[in-house]
Amino acid sequence: MKTVNSIYIVDDDPITVFGISKMLGCLVECDDITSFQNGKEALDDIHNRLTSKKGLPDVIFLDINMPILDGWGFLEEFLKLDIPKKIRINIVTSSIDPADYEKWLRYKKTTHHFIDYKNKPIFKIEAQDIEHIDLAS
Amino acid sequence: MKETKSVAYSYLIKQLPSATVYLNTNFEVVHASDNWIKTFDLCKTNVFGKRLHKLVKHANKKWLQSLDNCLLGQRQEGLASFIDNQGNEKWLEYTHLPWYDEGENIVGVIMQVDDVSESYGDQMEIERLQTLLQSQSEIAKVGSWEYDLVTEKLTWCQMTKAIHEVPKDYDPSIEAGIQFYKQGHSRNTIAMLVHKALVEGVAFREKLQIITAGGREKWVLAAGKPFLKNGKVTRLIGTFQDIDEQVKSEIKTKESEKLLNTLVDNLPLNVYVKDKESRKILVNKAECDYLGVHDKEELIGKSDFDLYDKNIAEISRNEDIEVMRTLVPIIGKETVSIKKDETATTFLTSKIPLLGINGNATGIIGLSMDISHLKEKENELRNLINVTAVQNKKLINFAHIVSHNLRSHTANFSMLLNFLIQEKDEAEKQRIVDMLTNASDNLMQTLEDLNEVVSISTNVNVERKRLNVNQQLAKIEQNLSALLKEHEVEIVNEIHDSTVIWSVPAYFDSILLNLITNAVKYRHPKRKPVIRFSVSKRKDYTIFSIEDNGLGIDMAKNGEKLFGMYKTFHDNNDSRGIGLYITKNQVEAMGGDIRATSELNKGTTFNVFFKNEDSK
Repeated sequence: MKTVNSIYIVDDDPITVFGISKMLGCLVECDDITSFQNGKEALDDIHNRLTSKKGLPDVIFLDINMPILDGWGFLEEFLKLDIPKKIRINIVTSSIDPADYEKWLRYKKTTHHFIDYKNKPIFKIEAQDIEHIDLAS
Repeated sequence: MKETKSVAYSYLIKQLPSATVYLNTNFEVVHASDNWIKTFDLCKTNVFGKRLHKLVKHANKKWLQSLDNCLLGQRQEGLASFIDNQGNEKWLEYTHLPWYDEGENIVGVIMQVDDVSESYGDQMEIERLQTLLQSQSEIAKVGSWEYDLVTEKLTWCQMTKAIHEVPKDYDPSIEAGIQFYKQGHSRNTIAMLVHKALVEGVAFREKLQIITAGGREKWVLAAGKPFLKNGKVTRLIGTFQDIDEQVKSEIKTKESEKLLNTLVDNLPLNVYVKDKESRKILVNKAECDYLGVHDKEELIGKSDFDLYDKNIAEISRNEDIEVMRTLVPIIGKETVSIKKDETATTFLTSKIPLLGINGNATGIIGLSMDISHLKEKENELRNLINVTAVQNKKLINFAHIVSHNLRSHTANFSMLLNFLIQEKDEAEKQRIVDMLTNASDNLMQTLEDLNEVVSISTNVNVERKRLNVNQQLAKIEQNLSALLKEHEVEIVNEIHDSTVIWSVPAYFDSILLNLITNAVKYRHPKRKPVIRFSVSKRKDYTIFSIEDNGLGIDMAKNGEKLFGMYKTFHDNNDSRGIGLYITKNQVEAMGGDIRATSELNKGTTFNVFFKNEDSK
């Protein structure tokens, strides 16, 4: 069993949240798995953690289509934040719109965080999906 | 004695009336008559003992050679020329005789000359004029003829004979001459003209046709002039000119011109030619029709400034100048011409420099094709393409929405089923089954939503009716009375009771219902909700406006997503993000539009554009 300090699941669909949590349960030891219904909630929590000097999540599972603030909106704001730590973001979506895929490629290039892109359905989360990559820095 | 003789001879010879000189075998002057000395203009020179060759400059060789022949005992005669001291050419008729002594020995030459310069010059002039006349007559193909009334003899010069294609020895008569003319108009005319000339002394000059001896038709210019003696015509002289080529080329030119005019007039183009000052010097029928004149003459000499709007004329004039300066034609340029009566026409215009013989531009040839109707069609097509492009975009967008929404549910099925297969724990299994049921309900709901959208998009031609806005509003308010009461909503209606809009009734109800419930749903927690209705009229649209004082939306951030499917911007558990999407679809299906203005924490206004019944 791997150990990860903190994981975010950002998705407005409770079934997906349930599924990801369940799959993570078989893979890692993590006391801090938090789910958010939309990008705004997740972003607010990041801000809270930054001000209260709490540890930021190591891995974020991010849905694209969400109310209020969608996945891209969240990424846009999140990447503006000064976070030296390298965070892994797994985009998980049912969209097969090429425009979404291209957006991911664009974001991927412009940040030091590691962004991955997966299409639903997912049946299993592999160890490398939650690789805690922030080794050297 | 001999001496005395010689002097006596000399004295005799000096006085001879003819210009005579005695030359020895070296052609030195021994005796000379005063006349000879005068002829050669040698009065100021002592000629005796001098060589003739020295005395007479620029003498012609033949003359000097004949002196040599004379020494051989031959008498010589001929015409010689030399240049005198004044530089004038002089012509002499000469006779050279051998000069014998008593012993029949040739001791020299006796030369007698006669100055014929004057008569010879006249003859030369006559010859020159004759040659000139002949060559002119040959070049211009002008012959002459003469008719003597007394002897009744008709004379033709060689050229006249050549034009008639008769042999050189042909002897014409006045009757035969007339017979050469082509039967009909030509022959009748010449007979009448000759008769009038003979009887009344009237000169004539006429273009007529002859048939030559060789059987060829020819155009000739026949002219005659009577000469009178004591008031009676005695002679007719005249010229006879072959003008076949000229007349034929004139006819050809006329034919070409006719062809060109026919062509130019019947071209479905406006054609004009302008001079250097951009004044029209030629226009075709189409150009006249376009400018609304009946006669081409009305346009000749007019410039664009006389015919068009000043700005248009200036542009056109500058183009003309540029084309004439650079000699580079303008081909197929799209231009809009505005006439003085302000009617605009779109033309495909070409301007070609008209070159003079020296290669400079002397004007402009203009060709314009009226493409106004094509432009209209083009615009229609462009609009159609735009509409199609927008619809296409909407369709693709909708396809992605459909795919996303269906996939999200089916993905959940797959995932949950996968869990279910692997799950041992009964309680957990039950939980997963509950989730599957939930997912299935969600899928059904999604399908219903999508169906509703598709039915709107496909029912483009649903029948619209004239609806009284206030009546419809009253009905909806009645339906929503519980909701409105619960939240103490204040309704302000500024719409006149007679106001009518043109809409599919069901759509109008749905639009009102959606917008009113939205206004209530997104009310501001700190104030009493107020909803204001109003209507304004535009040319083609009637605009229904609904204004609230609710939460408002950050338009900069979410403006483009506002009418998107499953987009919500507030923490509201009963928002599904489908209402406005459907509303927008309904409005657009009726050829209308919906726009929102909003300010965060102030409120939102939706303006719904309904097409008027009489708009196109």
